[in-house]
Amino acid sequence: MTANTAAPSSLQPDAMLPRPFRVASTAADTVDTVTLILEPEDGEGFHFAPGQFTMLYVFGVGEVPISVSGDPGTAETLVHTVRAVGAVTEAICRLTAGDRVGIRGPYGTGWPIREAEGKDVVVAAGGIGLAPVRPMLLTLLAGRHRFGAVSLVYGSRTPGDLLYVDELHSWRSRFDVEIEVTVDRAGSDWLGDVGVVTSLLPRIPFRPENTIAVVCGPEIMMRVTADEMILRGVSAASIYLSMERNMKCAVGFCGHCQFGPEFICRDGPVFAYERIRGRMRVPSL
Amino acid sequence: MSLISLRERSQLLSKLTSTELDLFESLSREMTAADGEILFEEGADADTFYVVADGRVALELTSAGRSPMIIQTLGPGELVGLSWLFPPHRWNWRARVVGASRLVVFDAVEVRRHCHENRDLALDVFQVVAAEMAERLHSTRLRLLDLYS
Ligand SMILES: Cc1cc2nc3c(=O)[nH]c(=O)nc-3n(C[C@H](O)[C@H](O)[C@H](O)COP(=O)(O)OP(=O)(O)OC[C@H]3O[C@@H](n4cnc5c(N)ncnc54)[C@H](O)[C@@H]3O)c2cc1C
Repeated sequence: MTANTAAPSSLQPDAMLPRPFRVASTAADTVDTVTLILEPEDGEGFHFAPGQFTMLYVFGVGEVPISVSGDPGTAETLVHTVRAVGAVTEAICRLTAGDRVGIRGPYGTGWPIREAEGKDVVVAAGGIGLAPVRPMLLTLLAGRHRFGAVSLVYGSRTPGDLLYVDELHSWRSRFDVEIEVTVDRAGSDWLGDVGVVTSLLPRIPFRPENTIAVVCGPEIMMRVTADEMILRGVSAASIYLSMERNMKCAVGFCGHCQFGPEFICRDGPVFAYERIRGRMRVPSL
Repeated sequence: MSLISLRERSQLLSKLTSTELDLFESLSREMTAADGEILFEEGADADTFYVVADGRVALELTSAGRSPMIIQTLGPGELVGLSWLFPPHRWNWRARVVGASRLVVFDAVEVRRHCHENRDLALDVFQVVAAEMAERLHSTRLRLLDLYS
């Protein structure tokens, strides 16, 4: 079971009503990815559990699910990191300070933080998948003594596609966390690793029988990483993935994000691999 | 450096019997390499191979008019060089050391000669290198899928 389950917001009458937020600032992470800091207009702050997402509405364009990428310890603002892949995300990436957006949520299950206490934690991220695990990493680092060995393995297409580069550097300079980064291709000025993200796993410290793995990225990346963790002795019940499907209502009502017997928005997006492993191989799902 | 100390981290060395390891030891020497040092160039005779002890080696493609592209990096315990085992024994990529590194370099010509004379050794060496190749093929296929798009 995952640690945090959202309230059954489908029962609340205002579940479909967005809360107005204003863009406080934006910063380009890469050529196609932007991090936005949003402030609620009602001044009431924003509380969430790492792994949860919101429905971000660009007025006149549309609404999409986006994971919260900020620090759960900071309730005054809401942080999202968005990669432009289509109409709505492109509009989000064009927003500038002062623009208004609508926010619903937070929704969904969170990463298994309570389950991870006392255990080694392996966080594996691919591409934009580093954004949804960032709140988990910040939580692990803020309460570092509560966890065993903590590691991040992060894979990206090229060095130019890496997110949060300054933060990765600062985490790397700590002695209590292992940070390994690899890219698929690079020029000769790149001093880091080139290879698939799973090739980093032999390098990081974890006790397989006492490890929680958190995996986030495109689905194939999550599958191969989870399978590799299993080969290395971690049980499928201790590996957590964040699933993505097209979503509309985000409150378990419309069925757009149905994944077998479950809805990703309500029962996920974070699932134990044990629970969804078989379904991840069914093309029609 | 004794190969035994590298054995635990190296797929190649961990699969060899102790007699084979002694033979490999006699056909190897430790070397340190500075950042940027070229271990071998594309097209050159593949008469050596390496196991990384510390540091990193980049396999790269060089091409006129453009800067080199790194195909893969290899770290501690990993085997650098596969072409030495297969005719025409010529390197497909350039191998460049990234950061100061320590390596063990093997005399591939001698290893091949011993393999010709000793079929049991040949089988063990081919099995280990084939497993390494299968793993690299798998990783390459995953990268072909453009995993992070
Ligand atoms: C729970 C959840 C959390 C998410 N968190 C984030 C996040 O933190 N940051 C973020 O940038 N995105 C996130 N996404 C993905 C985001 O919701 C989609 O990228 C968005 O819905 C696309 O809408 P669009 O109108 O811009 O593009 P569409 O017009 O819907 O799609 C345009 C093209 O992009 C493709 N596409 C759609 N989604 C994706 C995707 N996820 N990756 C790659 N290509 C895609 C479509 O197949 C289509 O070809 C999340 C999704 C879910 C379900």
